[in-house]
This record gives sequence, structure tokens and C-alpha cells, in this order.
Amino acid sequence: MDPECSRLLPALCAVLVDPRQPVADDTCLEKLLDWFKTVTEAGPSLLLLQENPCLVELLFRVLKAHDPRPRVLSFSLRLAGLFAAQEDCFQYLQVTPSSSVSQQGELLPMLFGESGPLGGAAWTAPTVRSGWLQGLRSLAQHPGALRFLADCGAVDTIFSLQGDSSLFVASAAGQLLVHILALAMRGPAEGHPSPQGCDWPACAQKIVCHVEDSLRSTATLQVTQALNVLTTTFGHCHSPWTQGLWVRLSPLVACLLEKDPIPASHSLVDLLLSVARSPVGSSDCGLWETLAQTLSHLSPTQAGPLALGILKLQDCPQALKTQAFGVLLQPLACVLKAAAQAPGPPGFPEGATGDSITVDTFLSSKSACVGLLCQALAHLELLQLLPQRPSPWPQAPLLRAAVAILRFCHGSAAPTSDVGGHLCAVLAGCVRVQRAALDFLGTLSQGTGPQELVTQVFAVLLEYLTSPDSSPMVLKKAFQATLRWLLGSPKAPSCCDLDPHTQLFLGELLPVLRKRLCSPCWEARDSGLEFLTQVTRHWGEVPELTGQLLRDPESYVRASAVTATGQLSSWGLYATPTGPEHPEVQQESLFTELLHILSTDSEGFPRRAVMHVFTQWLKDGHADVAEDLEQFVARVLQAASQDLDWEVRAQGLELALVFLEQLLGQPGSRCPYAVALPEAAPPATLAQVLQALCRVQLFEFALRALFDCDRPVAQKSCDLLLFLKAKATPCGGPQEAGASPDVVSVEAALQRWQAGEQGQPLGELEPEAVMAVLRSMDLEGLRGMLAKSSDHMEKSPQSLLQDMLATVGVLGENEADCY
Amino acid sequence: MLLSHVVHTAATEVCFPSPLSVLQGEGPRASCGAGAGQDVGRSCILVSIGGKNVMLDCGMHMGFSDDRRFPDFSYITRNGRLTDFLDCVIISHFHLDHCGALPYFSEMVGYDGPIYMTQPTQAICPILLEDYRKIAVDKKGEANFFTSQMIKDCMKKVVAVHLHQTVQVDDELEIKAYYAGHVLGAAMFQIKVGSESVVYTGDYNMTPDRHLGAAWIDKCRPNLLITESTYATTIRDSKRCRERDFLKKVHETVERGGKVLIPVFALGRAQELCILLETFWERMDLKAPIYFSTGLTEKANHYYKLFIPWTNQKIRKTFVQRNMFEFKHIKAFDRAFADSPGPMVRSGLRGPARLGPCLQVVFATPGMLHAGQSLQIFRKWAGSERNMVIMPGYCVQGTVGHKILSGQRKLEMEGRQVLEVKMQVEYMSFSAHADAKGIMQLVGQAEPENVLLVHGEAKKMEFLKQKIEQEFRVSCYMPANGETVTLSTSPSIPVGISLGLLKREMAQGLLPDAKKPRLLHGTLIMKDSNFRLVSSEQALKELGLAEHQLRFTCRVHLHDTRKEQETALRVYSHLKSVLKDHCVQHLPDGSVTVESILIQAAAHSEDPSTKVLLVSWTYQDEELGSYLTSLLKKGLPQAS
Repeated sequence: MDPECSRLLPALCAVLVDPRQPVADDTCLEKLLDWFKTVTEAGPSLLLLQENPCLVELLFRVLKAHDPRPRVLSFSLRLAGLFAAQEDCFQYLQVTPSSSVSQQGELLPMLFGESGPLGGAAWTAPTVRSGWLQGLRSLAQHPGALRFLADCGAVDTIFSLQGDSSLFVASAAGQLLVHILALAMRGPAEGHPSPQGCDWPACAQKIVCHVEDSLRSTATLQVTQALNVLTTTFGHCHSPWTQGLWVRLSPLVACLLEKDPIPASHSLVDLLLSVARSPVGSSDCGLWETLAQTLSHLSPTQAGPLALGILKLQDCPQALKTQAFGVLLQPLACVLKAAAQAPGPPGFPEGATGDSITVDTFLSSKSACVGLLCQALAHLELLQLLPQRPSPWPQAPLLRAAVAILRFCHGSAAPTSDVGGHLCAVLAGCVRVQRAALDFLGTLSQGTGPQELVTQVFAVLLEYLTSPDSSPMVLKKAFQATLRWLLGSPKAPSCCDLDPHTQLFLGELLPVLRKRLCSPCWEARDSGLEFLTQVTRHWGEVPELTGQLLRDPESYVRASAVTATGQLSSWGLYATPTGPEHPEVQQESLFTELLHILSTDSEGFPRRAVMHVFTQWLKDGHADVAEDLEQFVARVLQAASQDLDWEVRAQGLELALVFLEQLLGQPGSRCPYAVALPEAAPPATLAQVLQALCRVQLFEFALRALFDCDRPVAQKSCDLLLFLKAKATPCGGPQEAGASPDVVSVEAALQRWQAGEQGQPLGELEPEAVMAVLRSMDLEGLRGMLAKSSDHMEKSPQSLLQDMLATVGVLGENEADCY
Repeated sequence: MLLSHVVHTAATEVCFPSPLSVLQGEGPRASCGAGAGQDVGRSCILVSIGGKNVMLDCGMHMGFSDDRRFPDFSYITRNGRLTDFLDCVIISHFHLDHCGALPYFSEMVGYDGPIYMTQPTQAICPILLEDYRKIAVDKKGEANFFTSQMIKDCMKKVVAVHLHQTVQVDDELEIKAYYAGHVLGAAMFQIKVGSESVVYTGDYNMTPDRHLGAAWIDKCRPNLLITESTYATTIRDSKRCRERDFLKKVHETVERGGKVLIPVFALGRAQELCILLETFWERMDLKAPIYFSTGLTEKANHYYKLFIPWTNQKIRKTFVQRNMFEFKHIKAFDRAFADSPGPMVRSGLRGPARLGPCLQVVFATPGMLHAGQSLQIFRKWAGSERNMVIMPGYCVQGTVGHKILSGQRKLEMEGRQVLEVKMQVEYMSFSAHADAKGIMQLVGQAEPENVLLVHGEAKKMEFLKQKIEQEFRVSCYMPANGETVTLSTSPSIPVGISLGLLKREMAQGLLPDAKKPRLLHGTLIMKDSNFRLVSSEQALKELGLAEHQLRFTCRVHLHDTRKEQETALRVYSHLKSVLKDHCVQHLPDGSVTVESILIQAAAHSEDPSTKVLLVSWTYQDEELGSYLTSLLKKGLPQAS
């Protein structure tokens, strides 16, 4: 431990035990524990306690306090647990009496045993119970701890805390049981113990018996607790003994399936999946039967997550997978049946025919129907993306079902059956289902479908994009789904070989898009623009609709418009109303326009977007940029240097780096294995490069940024200058300029900037002076300093201790304020 | 770790249970501390009402920079997919302890459902989130933090609500916003499912301040009122006094040529202080300009101007002549400074203002002096005792703001440098929460059945709890984080009556009278979670059921030696004379009918002097049937 911290510690411990002193900021105790955790992990805890006797003293005093403050008591329990995690320290704490406290005793039993807080008034505070559990959790790391737990009767207390009124205490109790069980089974019992448990350690035996009793209970809460403990066990412990545990408990779990209704179905599903994923699953054939049985016993809504879980399993019998897939498809099969104009097979695999239970769920209530549909859509969406998805994948019926759902929601379906009529009434305008169905439809674009179905997909998407009833969120999803279908359509990316259906769709889409870009709702305009930006990456024929949105009142939209126009321009597609005869004039006007936005827009988003566009232009060798590269860089850097938003300034450095790379070649350090490609043009001489950098005032920009008050800017600048230095030095750049007047003035300016006085500009610079300054600077050292977070000093343990001590007595109403 | 309160209500008096539960997570006490966290904690409450799950606020904790800064949503995700489980999220106001985790929740944890907030909150929330994101990234270079795009995507999920507008989240769940004072756009929300309702206050203020009015709610009598209790035991001194103090200090410093730094977050407190200084400058005819060091102000002020209806009466009244938020003396740093030909006074500031006029009073972000511009100005000015820094908000541990507020005067900086703070350090609380009196007032206004206290300290809450229970005779709960409480509700279930049935009832000439409850016969249909009372015919039709005929039969023995036909005739004559209002018929086959009742006479198999009358009737004529049977049992009158 840092000597300064050691020095401060006694005073802090004294504050903590003084009931008159409020504990500082409520995060402090947490942070203090974090620090102790790192200290105990780094070295022997015993030594720590011996060198800092105030710590043991603190634990004793808190224990003996007449009316201990719950927070401090909880803290002490957790702290003691951290120390006792190491066996020697555990023994020390068990027997060591306090040196100066009048009452003596064994510390650990006093903290965690029945004579401790357990029986006191403080136990009513959940924070104390939670601290007790967390302390034991840290402590239970070695065999000695197991004996201790048995001796002090802790396990029974943990059993009772499983049903604690506090959600967090109950959850921690369950996890602690799993931890203790795993600890008990470690070592001598490792291997394949008998299911009967006669050779299991007493502690493990006790826990397993408790779980068995709970599983037999008629109280759902108790069953849930037992199932949760088992789920965590099979999820975390993969030792052979878990196999014996499952053999012993699976009959009890199977019994649960015979009850009606099945108790704690959610937890049961979690357990079965956890077992199936564990090594136990692969060796137990009975498990697949249980899973199949559970699938058929649960209601459609409950069975959904289980079915998805089964389909995600790496190796499980095909029959079970088919059954599970059937469960997921059931709701969509119902929809297809309800939407069918003429009777016919929906095309789903056997078993998914829209069974009566699912229909009943649909008919029972609106929320049940909506819930089941959304769940099914979400599950199928997830499944579609997985490599282990069922094959063959019923793409066509799924597409048909998604389209049908969207039509029901939109009110454009003409149902012929009763169920259809019901679905129409329930789903009309239901945003929840619309969102889920559009997401699903988008994912389905990964596959193909018969042309007539794809046409239907485009038609329904167009309906949603056109409809004034589409909420902004639905509209966004519709745009996203449309984009995915357009990009997934067979003959991308060039516009000329688009299939006629897509071309037709695009023709219909554009007027809609035009309308949406004038929507009074910014979300609609922005989603439209985002869509457009994405689309233009792949098709050039989309006319520019974005220019006017560069002056949108909403900054998010302006930013999206900048990105869109920037990209269109890169493709040579941006045209202003001046006409096509003078393309160079238009380009110039867009550059000027974007530069104007960069210099004048009152908000960061559009300015940042402009910087991104300019950087991209520079990278791509945009025609306009290439015309007068230096002029372009100089103007952009000048605007960026004056920006208030540090992200714009940082982006300026990004652009400067691109410029540098183009002049000097890629930074060598980036990829040492890269094959050096022959360069197209001979690189300019270093002297020429440096002259150019001086002309665009890149040095002044970078050096100023080096002392920027925002750390990322300084960091970027440091990287840039280091790159430059590395490139320049080995080539034996311009000769050492010595202490020329230029160098002196630059260094003086740098010192002033470092002190925060950034007023004076550098003026004209000579490359020699700059290089001399660069060589004399400790940029590596600066980089190291900048790599740390800017508040690392304030975050240090020493600072924490100082803060806690400093706040003693000054806490007033400050803390009740808000930010 | 998420800390939560859990309250469960299971209806015990009705057949259709409608559980109502509240789970709250807030406060930094990962140890499940007693009582809720303080203001700087994270508010995040889950309410289950009538099978609907609503999340109230989604706050973050600025005191932590690891995953503890956000609530632990795994307690919710274990219930299945978030979007399936939650019906909506409601944000009460734009403070980060109430909305800071929203982009994380919606874009990183994966909630895809609707988020409701008032229009000003919707406008201001992203600015604050963006402001905080920039600071977090600036300070730490954090990668695992939400991005600008995520904030935007999150805001697209927002549905704006107007005050007092009932918003139908779905067919069953509705919400309604009420004015809460506190900050611009802050609202209390009523959440209603069927006849059950919960009111969540968020943070509120019952006394109007310089720019906002007082919170107000109507007598909505919710089953549960969840109220903040930050100042549970405090009766606060007038805000005016604090404001006077603040102005005096600023003025004195400026007068003696010192500089004043006011670290703020871009919004909220900043605008409040701007109004304060602006009016003071105006009144005292002061010339020294006040600067606002962030470009965000323009947008913020724009919104404050835009949402004038949300401010207090005074601002609204003067609005026609002059908008309070169009400041004359307060100027934003902008690039115009750099280009202006004015006096080239070195300001000692980075960026565009470096050539600007001499700075005397500066608002700078961030508010806790933990990075960026405010910290840089602080470092420059800290060495002179003539200068002053005024902290108008609370600072979390681990920030320079916290250090100087706790009286530390020698701050260790990078590279073993020590910064000696000689400037004056002042703390000015402008916190706008309801005090004990205000909380009581609100409980009185809403008349809830139960009260639940959150956002306060256990000991103080205990005092308030007793006071509420005494004064209003309602149950008051203050569950510690994570605890469960069970409440009972007795919801009344509305039943719609079909027009046909009502018309039939009216046809009997009885007009409905609210004071005289009447018995109404019909069939109760439960469909789509609705109850309707309809006529049995309609019920049959709607449910697609076939009608079954149910007939009661009875045998009556009569001593009569005559033939069956004659007995039947005697029965006919007797009934005809007794039942004058009914249609009595003698049918050709010898049987007698009275309405639906059929009577047939037959000979007794063993005793020829006895005749058996077979009487049968439908259940609709049950009354008449029984009467007839008893009449016949008395025997027939002797033939004259």
C-alpha cells in the first residue's frame, strides 16, 4: 500500500466508526472497497492487516458499536470478507483478538455468526443482509471457510435469505449457495460422486437436500428459488459432479411438468436450457425427452423461449429441433391460415399448422395475441441470423406471414375467416406488432423469395412508407426494412442492371421519399435522409433531395444532410439547381456551402458531419479537393481550429493526418507485416513536404492542439506530431537550426500555450524551426501522460481517502442537490 | 448493482386479480442501502399495474465511471425480452439522474418500445445526454459508452406528451402528465389501467421560482402515489434569500476587479442563473459582460424561449414585450470574437475566445470541474484570492469540484504539481424540490389511497411517513431498496350495458335513477378484457351458441271419475275463470295451454276414479307454472 494512504488510513477508520460523522459521498464506501479489493488481490492480506492495525480495529469497533450505522456495518462485513479470502488471513481474523478494544473475541464468528449483526436490530436493514452475504461470498474460497460456514450455521441463514423481501438480497443468497456448493464439491469430492450423495461433503449434501425439499414444495416461490439455484449451478459449474446432481434431481424436475399449471415455468425453461447447454446435456438422453415433454406442456407464450433455446443448441436430436421449430412457427401459421383467401397448405413444415391452442391464445385477449406475435417474430428474427438455423428454412411462407401481419396491422387485409376478422380488429394500428414485423421482414431480406412475393413485400413496405398513420418509429423501421430489401435485391449494386421490379419500386419510392423529406416531424426527415445516404452508396440514380435540408432547423437533420450530400458529391451526383453545364461551379458551391456550415452552424452535429465529409473527400481524392489540395486543407484546418467542439478539432487532426499520410506515405508502425506497395508517384522530398505543411499552417494547428484542454484533441495531435517526427528524423531532414530566433519564438509560444495562454498566433514558420522544436520536445512522455484519463489523479485511492476525510463536518444540504 | 423497491398489490376482493407492483432502483448503494439514494443517485422505477409494466425514469449515477453508473437491468431482462416485457418507459424530466441511462437502455440493452416524455424534456434531453457523452469521452476516452448516433436513435423512440392530455399507450394503459415545476418540462405522471392508477411525481416543487410555476395535480385519488422525498424533513428557507446572497457575491467580486467562474451543465441550472444575473445586471446597470462558454447555450436558450408556456406566470405575462430568455448581457463565446477588431485583450482562454475582451463572469461546462473548459479556467484563476468560483450544484467524489467544496485548498495535479487554490469557493444550492410542507400539500391534493416515499434518506422518510399516516389516514410505505411490499386494491370493474337491454328496461316505464339502484337481468359477456351485459338472445348470437329449451314438469292427481276429455274441459273452464289476464286455450287434442304451460289429462293406470294432470312449463314461465300447479293441487270446483 502506498505510504501516503497508509498514513491517512487510521484517521479514516476513526471517522467511519464515529457515529457523529456522516459518511461522505455515498459512492465513497463502494470505491474504498474497490480499492481494498485491488490491494488484497495484489498482495498478502495478512501483511496488510499487520501493517495497518487500524483495519482490524475498525472491524471490532463497528461490531461493538451500540447502534451501528447500517452502511458502515455492511461495508465492514464486506471488507472482512475480502481479507478472509486468503486462508492465512482468515485464520488470523478467526482467532485474533483486538489489541486495544476492551471487549475481545474472535472476529469472524462475531461478524458472521449468530452473535453478530444477524441477531441485532441492524439486520432489518437490507444493506446489512446484503453486506453479510457479499462478505461470505468473498470469504468462501478455501476449505477452512467451509468449516467456518458449517460451524456458524450460515447455510441455514442463507436458505432463509433466499426468500428475502429484498430482490437483491434474495438473488445474492441464491448465488452464494451455488458458490458454496461448488466449493464443497471441489477437491476430494471432485470426480463422479454417486447420485445418492452418500459420499458428498456434508455441506453440499445439506444444500442439495434443501433444493430437493424446495422442488417438492407447493409454494411456487420456493420452487422458483430452487430452480434458479440449479440454473446458476449448471451454468457455471461444469465439473463431473454436476452429472450426479442432475441424475438425482431430474425426477423431481420432471414431476413439476405433471402439475397443472406448471409452477415457475419461466425458471424451469431456464434450468432445462442451462442443463442442455452444460456437459450434462450431451450425456443424458432423458433430457431430450423432458425437453420435448416441456415443449408440449407449456402454453405457446411460455414455450417460445424454450423452443428458441433448443434451436440454438449445438447438438440435439433432429426430432426435438423440428418440434421446437414448429412451436415458433405456430403463431405465423395461424396468421397465414387466417389470411388465406383460399384453402391451401401454408407451406410450413409439418407440425406448424396453426393449432387450436395458438388460435385460442390469439382469441383470448388483445394483449395475449400481440404478445405472442411479437415474441414469435423476434424469436424467428434471431433464429434466421444463426448458423444453426433449421434447414430448409421456410422463407416463402415466412415472407407471406410477415406481409400478412403487416397488412392486418395496416388494415389492408380482407379476412375471410373469423380468426382473420379477429386479427384485423386486434392488430389494426398496433405499433408494437408493426415494429416487430418490419424488423423481421428486414431480416428476411437475407434470403430470396419468389418474385410475386418480393413484389408483395415492396408493396407492403410502400404502404407503410406512404401511410400518414405510420408513427415515426414505424417509419424508421419501414425505411430500414426497405433498405435491406433493396440492398439484398438480386442485381445490385449498379443501377443499370437493376431488375425491372426493383426499378419500378424505386420509381414509386422516390415521390414518397420526397414527401417524407418535407415532413414536419424531424424523425421522419432524418430517417428518410439516413435511408437516402445508405441507398446512394449503392445506387447512383437516386436524385439529390438533400440540398435544401442542409438548412433544416433540426441539427440532427442538417448533419444527416451534410453526410448525404457529401457522399452524393463524391459520386459526382450532387447537383445544385444551376444546371449541369458547369459541374465545377457546383462542386465549388458545395464545398463553400459545407465550409460555411463548418464555420457558422451553431451546433456540433452538422459541423462534425462536415469534417467527416471533408476527411472522406481528402481520402477519396475528390475532384474538387485535388484541384487545390493545399488551399482546401488550409481552409478546413483554419475553420476547425476555431471550433468550440473538441470533436470537430479532433476531426481536424484526423484530416491533417490523412493529408500527412498522402504526402509522406502510411505510418510504418501501423502494420509491420504489410507488403510495401510500389508507389504510384515518387514521394515528394521531405523539404517540400514541410514547406507545404507550413503553408497550410498545419504546424500551428497541431501544436496548438497539443495543449488543448480537451484530452482527446491533445492525444491526437501528439500522435500526429510523433508520426511526423519519425518520418522526418531518419531521413535526415532539414539541418539542425540551432537556437535561431525562429526556434526561440516558437518555444516561447509553446510555453505560453502550455500555461493556458493561447492568444498569440505563431505567424509564418520555417520548416527548420519547426523540426528543431519537434526534436526538442518530449512527445513520447507527453503521450504517456495523455493516455491516462484526465481525472486519474482525482480517482486515485489517496485522493479518495483525502476526500473522505475532508468532507467530515462539511456535509450539509449539498448532497441533496442535483445536477 | 440495481437497487430497488418492490411493492406488490394483489387484489383480494375481486375475482379478477390486478396486481400492482413497483420496483425501484436508484441510488448508488450497491449494498442495497436502506432508503433510496440521494439526488445524485439513479432513478429507475418499475411499476406493474393491471398486468402492464411501466418503467419510470431511467437515470444514471455520475459518481461512478464503471458499469455501476447505470441501473442493473438484468433484473428486468430475466423476465424475458425487454420490449415484450415493458409496455412503456416514462421520463419525468431531463436531469441525468432521471434520463442518463436512456440511450444505454434503448440502444445497448435493447429496449425497442415507446418512451414518453413532455415536449421540453424531449427537446432538452438529447442536449444534456450529448453534453455528458462528450465529457465522459473527453475525460476517459471511454469506448463502451453510448454514441451520438445512439442518442439520436433513442430520441426517435420518444413520443411527446402534452400536459393534461390522456395518452393511450394501448387499449388498456393510459398515462397523463401534470406540471411538476422543478425544471423546465418536468412532469408528474398518472398511470392508469382500468380503474387502478398510480401517480409518480418525479422531482417536483410546490413553490414557484423565478422561471417556473408550482407543481399541481387534480384530485385523481390514485391507488398509489409515489413521491420523491428529498427534503422530507426540511422546511426550506426562501429561495429569494439564496438568490440575493449569490448576486451579492458576484457583484462584490466584479466590483473589486475579480473574476467569477460558475461551472454549470449546459442546461437547467445555467438558464436559471442566467435569468438571475441578467435581471440583476439590468437593475444595477452593470457593464461587465457575462460569457457562456458553451455553444450549446444557444440551442438551450432557444428551447427555453420556445417553451414559454411551461414557465411561470410572470415570464408568460412579460413575454409579449420581452422574452426573458433573450439575454442582453449574457453572450456566448463564438467565433465572432476571434474575428472582431475590438481590443485584443488576452483572455487566457483556449479556443475562439482567445482574442476576446476581458472575461469577468463566465459560465463554463462541465459543472463539476472534472474536465474541459471549466477546469481549465479554474486552473488559471485559482491562484488569486480576488477571484471566486461559485458551484451551483452538487459535485460527486473524484472531481475537482468536490475537492474544493470540501475545503481542500492544495490540489495535486499532473506530474506532482500542486495547485494552490486561493480563490474564494462558494456553494449555492438552487435545488428545486418540494419540502416537507410541499409533499404534504401534494398528498392532500391527489388524495391517494397509499403513499410510497422514494428519493430520500431513511431517517427523514420515517418522520414524513408518520406525519402522512397521521394526517391523511392512509398507508405510507418507504421500502428500502429491493424490498417488497404487498398492497390490496379493490378495483371496480366497469360493465357496459347493451342498448337493447336498456331500451327494454325503459319500455317498462322505469326511468334510470342514480339514487335508486335497480336489478337488471341479462347475460354478462367477457370479451377482449371487456365486460358487457346483454340480453340472452344477443349473448347467444354473439357467442354463436344454440338455445336449449328447459321445461319443468309436474303431475297433479285429481279425484275425478269422468273421462279424461271432460276433466280437461273442467280444468280449462276453471283456469279461464281464474286467470283472466292470461291466454287460456283448449286445444283440439284435448290439452289445455296457458301461455307456455301445457296441461294434459290422463287416466290413472290403477285407479280409474283418479285422473292425472301432466303440467309442463318453460323456465321463463316458472312463476306462472308454480302458481298453476299449486292451484290445480287444490282441486277443481264442483260442477254446478
